[in-house]
Amino acid sequence: MDRQYYLDLAARGVSFPIGTDLVLREHADHAQIVNDGRRLGQVIDEAARRYRTPLAFPLMDLMIEKADLLHLAGVHGVDPDTFHFDTPPDEKLMAKLESNLSSPPGVRLQANIDAIRYIAQETDLIPVGMCIGPFSLMTKLLADPITAVYIAGTGMKPEEDPEVRAVERTLQMALMVVLRSVRLQVDAGAHAVCIAEPAANKAYFSPNQLEAGSDIFERYAIAPNRRIRDLLRMRGADLIFHCCGELTDMMVQRFASLDPAILSLGSSRVLWEDARILPKNVVLYGNLPSKKFYSDEVITLEQVEQKAQELRQKMRQAGHPFILGSECDVLHVPGCEQTIRRKVEVISRGG
Amino acid sequence: MSQMQALCDAIQTGNRNEAKRLTQEAIDAGLNPQDILDKGLVPGMYAIGEKFKRNEAFVPEMLIAARAMKEAMAILEPHLVKAGIQPKYRVVIGTVQGDLHDIGKNLVAMMWKGANFGVIDLGTNVPPDKFVAAAREHDAHIIGLSALLTTTMPAMKETVAKVRAAGLDKVKVMVGGAPITREFADEIGADGFAPDAATAVDVALRLVA
Repeated sequence: MDRQYYLDLAARGVSFPIGTDLVLREHADHAQIVNDGRRLGQVIDEAARRYRTPLAFPLMDLMIEKADLLHLAGVHGVDPDTFHFDTPPDEKLMAKLESNLSSPPGVRLQANIDAIRYIAQETDLIPVGMCIGPFSLMTKLLADPITAVYIAGTGMKPEEDPEVRAVERTLQMALMVVLRSVRLQVDAGAHAVCIAEPAANKAYFSPNQLEAGSDIFERYAIAPNRRIRDLLRMRGADLIFHCCGELTDMMVQRFASLDPAILSLGSSRVLWEDARILPKNVVLYGNLPSKKFYSDEVITLEQVEQKAQELRQKMRQAGHPFILGSECDVLHVPGCEQTIRRKVEVISRGG
Repeated sequence: MSQMQALCDAIQTGNRNEAKRLTQEAIDAGLNPQDILDKGLVPGMYAIGEKFKRNEAFVPEMLIAARAMKEAMAILEPHLVKAGIQPKYRVVIGTVQGDLHDIGKNLVAMMWKGANFGVIDLGTNVPPDKFVAAAREHDAHIIGLSALLTTTMPAMKETVAKVRAAGLDKVKVMVGGAPITREFADEIGADGFAPDAATAVDVALRLVA
C-alpha cells in the first residue's frame, strides 16, 4: 500500500485500540467463533467499526503459529501451550517441517486466513494480518531460551553448545512457519501484517551484552524479521511491527531499521522521546498502559484521560506521525469488563 | 582472592563450571557446608540481585547466575543435609492458574533458595487448591504467587481468598509479576508484594521476621 496512507491516518488524528478480543468475548460462543473464519471476520469488522478505525486488526493470538509449527513438524498429541523441545530438533524433524510447509493450515490458522478474506472481500476496511515474530515464537518452543540466547551472545557456536543449537534450530523453524503464515495472510488479502515480537526485549537480550558489542540482537531478533519485511515488500504489503516489552533506545532504532509503516511500542517507552530517534515516515502507535486497565486501583479513568491528552499533545509538539492506541491488544479480563471498556473508549473517542 | 570470594564471583558472573569446581574444592577442603552457602553462594546471588535492582544487571545475567547457583547447590545440598542443616523457613511458590509463564517465578525461587529458604516449586498453571494443599502439607511460612498476564490476575485474587478461607492464618501470601502492583496486592489482600526477584528476598524476610 502507499506509505502515505498511514501518515494521512496519523495526520487525521485517528486513534484506536487493538480491541478485537474485547468484542469477541462479548459473544457467548467465542470459543467456536475463533475456528470459524467468516464469523471471526464479522467480529473483526465489528471491532474495527466500534473503535472507528479503517484498519481491521485480527486477534493477537500468539499461539497460532506454534500450533501450526508442531503440526507441520509432526509433533502430535501434545498441548501446544505447554510443549517445549527438550533437545535440539534434529535434521530429520526440520526436514519434515520444511517438506510440509505447503500443507493446508490447521483449523485456527485457516480461520484467521478466512477472516482476512472476509474483511478483504465483504467490507470496506483495510485487512490487516497478524503473526507472532520468529524470535518470540522460538522462545515458546524452549523451556529456558533466555540463558541460551545469552550464551549465544557470548560467541558460543551451535556446534559447541546444545542449548545454542536448540535456539538456532527452533529459530530457523519458527522463521519458516512465520513466513508461511504471512504468505497465506497476504494471499488472503492482507494489505499489512502486524508482526508481534514481544520477546525481543531487555528480558531476553542483556543490554550489558549488547553494549559490549554482541551482535546477538541483530542476528536473532532483527535478521529474521528482515526476511519477513522483504517478503511483504515483494508482495506489496506493509509491515506493522509491535513490541510491548521493555526496550533500549538501540532496540527501538533496530526495529525502525525494518522500515515498518507503523511501530507499536509498550507503555514503558516515552514516545515523544522515541520520536527524536526515529525516521519521520514511521508512524508511532501506542502506548496507553492498557495492561493496567483492568483495575481502577492501578489506573483510574481520569489518569487514562490525562495520559491520552499528554500523549497527543507531546507527540504533536514532537511533530512525529502518531496514532494514539493501546500498548498491546486489550485482553478481556473476567469480572473487569466494564472498567476496561470505559478506559478503552478514551482511545476511540478521539481528541 | 579468597576461595569464597572466588566462588561468589563465579556465581555473580554465571560461570557455572568455575562455581561447581570451587564448591567441590571447598567441600573437599573440609569447609563447613553452611559457610560455603553463606559466604560463597548466597553473597554471589545477593550481589547480582543488588545490581539488578540498580538496573546494572538484567534478567539474562540473573538467570545465568541462578543457573550457576543451582548447579553448585546440587553439589552442596547433600552435604547440607548430611550436616543436618535445614532451611529455617519454607515457601511454596507457583504461577497462578491459567498462566504458563515461569521466568519470574523461577528467578524468585532461586533467590529464595539462595537466601536459604526451603522452596517448594509447584510450577505453572497452579490451581488455588493446590497452593492451599501444598502450604498445609509443608507447613509453609509463605506462599508466593506469580502472574505475567493481566488475564490471570483474577486467579491470583481467587488464590488469596482460598488461602484465607482455608484458615491458614500463619501463612503469608506474597505476589509478584509484570502486571502486578502494590495497589493490586493490597486490593486482593496479599501480605507482601515484590516488584522484582531481588526484592522478593527482602520482603520474604520481613514477612517471616
